[in-house]
Amino acid sequence: MNDLKWAHRHLLGISDLSKEEIFYLLEKANDFRNFLEKSPKRLANLKGYFLVNLFFEPSTRTRVSFEIAAKLLGMEVINFSTSLSSVQKGENLRDTVLTLSQMKVDILVVRHRESGLPLYFAGFLPFHIVNAGDGIREHPTQALLDLLTIKRQFGKVSGLRVAIVGDITHSRVARSLCVGLVKLGNSVVVSGPITLVPRSIEEVGAEIVFPVERAVQDVDIVYLLRIQRERQEAGYFPSLKEYSIFYGFDSKVMQLVRKSFVLMHPGPVNRGVEIASELVEAPFSLIQEQVTCGLAVRMAVLDTLIGSD
Amino acid sequence: MKRILIKRGTLVLVDKGVLADRDLLIEGNRIVRIDRGIQDPQAYVIDASGFLVGPGLVNMHVHFRELENSAGGDGLLAEMRAALKGGFTTIVVMPNTNPPLDEPLVVRYLGYRCREIGLVNVYPAGAITRGLEGQKMSEIGLLKQAGAVAFSDDGKSVMDSHLLYLALMYAKYFDVPFILHEEDISVSGEGQIHEGAVAFRRGLKGIPRVAEDSLIARDLVIGYYTGARVHFTHVSTYFAVELLRWFRDKALISADVTPHHLLLTEEAVDREGVFAKVKPPLREKRDVEALKEGIRDGVITVLASDHAPHKGKSKEMVFSEAAFGISNLEIAFPLYVKALVDEGVLDWVGLWKRMSLNPMQVLGMPEKGFLAEGAEADVTVVDPETEWEVNIENFESQGRNCPFNGWSLRGWPVYTIVGGKILMRERSILEP
Ligand SMILES: [Zn+2]
Repeated sequence: MNDLKWAHRHLLGISDLSKEEIFYLLEKANDFRNFLEKSPKRLANLKGYFLVNLFFEPSTRTRVSFEIAAKLLGMEVINFSTSLSSVQKGENLRDTVLTLSQMKVDILVVRHRESGLPLYFAGFLPFHIVNAGDGIREHPTQALLDLLTIKRQFGKVSGLRVAIVGDITHSRVARSLCVGLVKLGNSVVVSGPITLVPRSIEEVGAEIVFPVERAVQDVDIVYLLRIQRERQEAGYFPSLKEYSIFYGFDSKVMQLVRKSFVLMHPGPVNRGVEIASELVEAPFSLIQEQVTCGLAVRMAVLDTLIGSD
Repeated sequence: MKRILIKRGTLVLVDKGVLADRDLLIEGNRIVRIDRGIQDPQAYVIDASGFLVGPGLVNMHVHFRELENSAGGDGLLAEMRAALKGGFTTIVVMPNTNPPLDEPLVVRYLGYRCREIGLVNVYPAGAITRGLEGQKMSEIGLLKQAGAVAFSDDGKSVMDSHLLYLALMYAKYFDVPFILHEEDISVSGEGQIHEGAVAFRRGLKGIPRVAEDSLIARDLVIGYYTGARVHFTHVSTYFAVELLRWFRDKALISADVTPHHLLLTEEAVDREGVFAKVKPPLREKRDVEALKEGIRDGVITVLASDHAPHKGKSKEMVFSEAAFGISNLEIAFPLYVKALVDEGVLDWVGLWKRMSLNPMQVLGMPEKGFLAEGAEADVTVVDPETEWEVNIENFESQGRNCPFNGWSLRGWPVYTIVGGKILMRERSILEP
């Protein structure tokens, strides 16, 4: 492992990381990923450290992933997911997390629907903060786990072409991944309903291509985003049926992609909406591997942040 | 194969902008030759001397009422016959039918029924919003897949700006035009006729120009901002023309008018009563002049008709209870001749182009709507000189609600050929 001096107290977003720092984390995560194939798995690296999962938005997947990652490193974990759900914002929220700080935890993993909330916490809380998704801004560990999955599949994570399809506008996953991919020298095309693809994505280096059929041609990776029913109710597209027919990944679209392509999705999948059910577990699907890589990436992040103390 | 030879006519070459004395030979459903002195002893010959022979007329704003009635679709047949009589080979049907064209299945059904009847080409316009209620976007992609060529909530406006903004942006993916009826109902409200001298005198609630102008202004801006294709239908005010003129080179906009807004003013209400009740309302002389100027200088590039048949005679009805709308499908072309050719606003080629090639361009079918070797054999033959009187009793349409009864007009279509078949000959419909 290289000897980069880690310079960040928190992990708030992919935007804050240099190319070298991303490679450093990926390399470390890759080792953890290999380690996960062995048993027994428990390490003592971070024994005696405390992690608090503070989730204001439900996400069993990400919360459990952090919890297992922490426990595999020997940490103690406390979950605050429902008991604080009544706390919204402002002074109330500030008081609540200040109380946490008096409990002398070491690292706080936070998810909130407000973009920039982890950054706000970092301004006055004394411990490490990991952003586990803030509003529509960033989801750095998701981007890192996607990059790790790609690296392990292709043996590299640069010079690739990736199509991200779906609700780009409201997706922190898309934003972080796009920033990460471009930073490492990949090309990114985005597509989906025009109402859900913001023009401003071009400013981070992505290319907008319509229709979806054209966007997925000549790419190494097709990355589908989860479609929320609320977006239909808010009028961004007319129906889930129409979504699946024009923007969903099905056997018809399969005819257009390269033989060597792979399919990714941050999960959980809406079968029959963004992807035809029978394709979820197809040989070209990395959706399951992404989950395991998520664990490895979170181990690497915790180990790096606390290890830099 | 049966061939049709149209001899000695004057061809209206709308794409080239000229009239030319040529013969035209049709074989199957194609125009196969355009030339001088074509000889073909086996062909069925139409002697078109003294007639104009042009591409089949296109009307991008027509209403059908019932898609199905107890007698089994007579409504469709009647309006399609009216189209043929009017020289139209292609019409766009607005979605406020019963049931409305907001479901892919209904759009498919309409297409199927019209092909079965097999007279004119019918292109459905799908609803922008479900049930034309202005609340939720309809399945624009699926409707297009089912055959919708444009989208409209005609009869109403999409009052929710955010919804229209999203729908226009969403529809760009499918590259379809929106045909917008512009009327701010919070302004027009219970209005019956134009808010002018006649409304004042008769004590009727008026519809001010601002009801139309304000929404046109809004939607020019939304259309410009989204980069979507926006077509403003039945434009009726002088200020609307100015707004359109200001945006003409900035956005993908187009506009049409109706013949009644060019030939009548609010005063027609005094003479014709409920037959002159229409939306947008008949305006004033200055509006008519501005519309004509907009047509002359190319701000308004399409001539449609907003044919809106209403069954039965409603003359006796209280004004406020009568339906809005004018039945004009079979007289639209002669009406435009009176309004525009006779007034020196357009020549024949200019008129014809705005009723064939231009609407096809708006609909995204620029390869149609003009005469050419190899083109589909949709041809209309017009007698430019003979005057006939409008008689609503002879209308094919189920709608006799027409303020032009008794008018003497010239420029009547005398043959309508659709897909290589003569379906209207010497002003009579041939039974298919
Ligand atoms: Zn209409």
